[in-house]
Amino acid sequence: MSAAPAVRRRRRSRVPALFLLPFCLLFAAFFVAPIGYAVYQSLFTTQRSGLGLGAAQTVFSGLANYAAALRDAAFTGSMLRVLLFMAVETPVMIIFALLLALALDAASVRFPALFRSAFFAPYGVPGVIASLLWGFIYVPGISPVVQVLGGVGLHPDFLGPQTVLWSIANILTWEFAGYNMLVLTASLKAIPDELYEAAQIDGAGGLRIAWRIKIPLISGALILTTVFTIIGTLQLFAEPLVLRGLTANISDSYTPNLSAYTQAFTDSNYSMAAAEAVILALAALVLSFVFLRLVQRAGGPGAGGPRAGREAGRRRTGGRR
Amino acid sequence: MVVLLAAISACSSGSARTPSSSGGVVHLTFWSWVPNIANAVSLFNSAHKNIQVTLDTIPTGSNGGYAKMLDAVKAGNPPCAAQVEYQEIPTFLLQNALVNIKPWVASSQSLFVPWQWNQGVYNGSVYAVPQASGPMALYYRKDVFSRDGIVTPPRTWAQYAQDAAIIHSHAPHAYITTFPVPDSAWYTALAWQAGTKWFGTSGDHWTVNIANAASQRVAGYWYGLVKKGMVKTENDFTSAWYKDLQDGGVVTWISASWGDAILRQNAPNTAGNWAVAPMPQWASSGFAASNWGGSSTAVLRGCPDPQAAAQFAVWLNTNARSINLLVTDGYGWPAVPSVSSIPSVTGNPKVFSFYGGQNINAVFQQADQNINESWGWIPNVQTTYDALDSAFASAANGNGTFASALTSAQRQTVASLSGAGLKVTSGP
Repeated sequence: MSAAPAVRRRRRSRVPALFLLPFCLLFAAFFVAPIGYAVYQSLFTTQRSGLGLGAAQTVFSGLANYAAALRDAAFTGSMLRVLLFMAVETPVMIIFALLLALALDAASVRFPALFRSAFFAPYGVPGVIASLLWGFIYVPGISPVVQVLGGVGLHPDFLGPQTVLWSIANILTWEFAGYNMLVLTASLKAIPDELYEAAQIDGAGGLRIAWRIKIPLISGALILTTVFTIIGTLQLFAEPLVLRGLTANISDSYTPNLSAYTQAFTDSNYSMAAAEAVILALAALVLSFVFLRLVQRAGGPGAGGPRAGREAGRRRTGGRR
Repeated sequence: MVVLLAAISACSSGSARTPSSSGGVVHLTFWSWVPNIANAVSLFNSAHKNIQVTLDTIPTGSNGGYAKMLDAVKAGNPPCAAQVEYQEIPTFLLQNALVNIKPWVASSQSLFVPWQWNQGVYNGSVYAVPQASGPMALYYRKDVFSRDGIVTPPRTWAQYAQDAAIIHSHAPHAYITTFPVPDSAWYTALAWQAGTKWFGTSGDHWTVNIANAASQRVAGYWYGLVKKGMVKTENDFTSAWYKDLQDGGVVTWISASWGDAILRQNAPNTAGNWAVAPMPQWASSGFAASNWGGSSTAVLRGCPDPQAAAQFAVWLNTNARSINLLVTDGYGWPAVPSVSSIPSVTGNPKVFSFYGGQNINAVFQQADQNINESWGWIPNVQTTYDALDSAFASAANGNGTFASALTSAQRQTVASLSGAGLKVTSGP
């Protein structure tokens, strides 16, 4: 080491910045800039006159697009629909994933790796393919399920106006429950065996161990899977888009994402699409924040979970939506 | 997030597609999704030394093709010529994406069927050269009709309703057809036949007249059939519907000339059992057919040599050999009145044998000559379709009627056009 201390210090201070640079550039180019541009675009409207055949003018209109979106019954209806969907689907998803994880974590289970892979497998099926697959199970006249149910006198309409939302919920549960289970399983694996031994010595049975030890210690992972499910349900898009081809009961603005998609690609109204997308993003942000505050007040994440949960979260956001 | 990113990428697409003149030769780019249109384009290139066209195959318009075109216009480097369906032309006009090609194509007007020519005419300017249409007729299962004692195909809609009852009473699983609730483009074509004119312009106003009396009559007719359980309400072009075509669950289809390829490909086991008759009529005298679908060649704004592009558009859609190549695959009906010089229309054994040897194109030829010429479209017509889809679906589920669906679509269409800053009049 012949370099003078001052040079070394300067070099050392430059190195982290150098390592951060690729991330910062990519983050700015592919995350900050698009969002900034969408927000910018949402503040303009296109002005035309008469038949609108000449060149149109783009004028600054402040929050007019936001006001129009919130006055639009179809869009607010779609927001309420995904909120209802979220309120039902999130607990169903998390409880189901938790039950699967706990079942596989039980000492008596055979071939846990095999079942874990089987439960996780649907996650590997793209959302569009999953929707097509389930679509065929829902459509009367083709569906073997509808046929069998018809044979015993049941005639369910999976694609009816009141039922189709829950048919979509079923697809989502099928797709993601196994994934959430895996996150929870990873967290369960991190619980030290001594705790179980101590509990057994104290006379705790399997159920009591699950309720008193396992669930509290994976609360961090539970919270994270819940937040991702909240965001995922609000962003519902591919499943209703695919099922639209099979039923009249999914409109072109069935969910906020679908509505923004229609605004952009059917009505060529990119400003309105941007405004709707921003409203949806804000709603997801607020809801996630409210949920996190609620659980913090209730006691905060346990010791075992956060690390596994954080890791899984990164994978999840990179992997799917 | 999908939408955010898509909205962004929309503005950065494209490479240089500007036509370039080298040695007196004009080079143009043409965007289309029509199967095998490349053959017609190479025919054009071999016949023209001074204009050379490069074809880029793009996704169909509604699957992203139009978004791609409009983005290219915005970015300032569009292809010169592009495939645009009739109902989308005003939407393109609203984006200021088309060039008025009247100076170069006006002299060719007489080469085209009048109603098809009019599809490209707005406010006295010509924005597109017609390519192909979908004149409509009644496809029916001859074998089922004769089995059930129906001697001749229905001439009127009243007879069609009677036949619906006969067919359903003979076999409970069989229906005369389906009312495709979420496919209101089909319903629009049926209303077109009844002599209505939903859209138009009057001075500097767009006019919207969806809920007019004739249109209500058509809606009332189908609502009655649906309520009586005489027709199905499953959507067309779905697996369940294809299955019904194959096993006799649905025995007629009121459809366009291009529907022939759909039947042949999806119900090959019924070959020889189908026939084609003219559309049933509302009036006891006279004859009116309708149209479902249609496509044009338009010149996009930003093309440096619109004259050459217009010349290409006219040649592509009037040259007999070119038309023959275009319609061979059943993409659509030619936009020219005389089809006698087009072998793939006059004699097509592969097609005709599916209909027991019937020359079905004679029926479509007659239909194409009897289509209401004043029919036009409005910008963002998809809004109207979506409004109708939802309202028809509600009606089929017991909320409202098909007639009230028209009123609701009328209201939503007017609101959407005024929302886009346009002047619009509700009514004729």
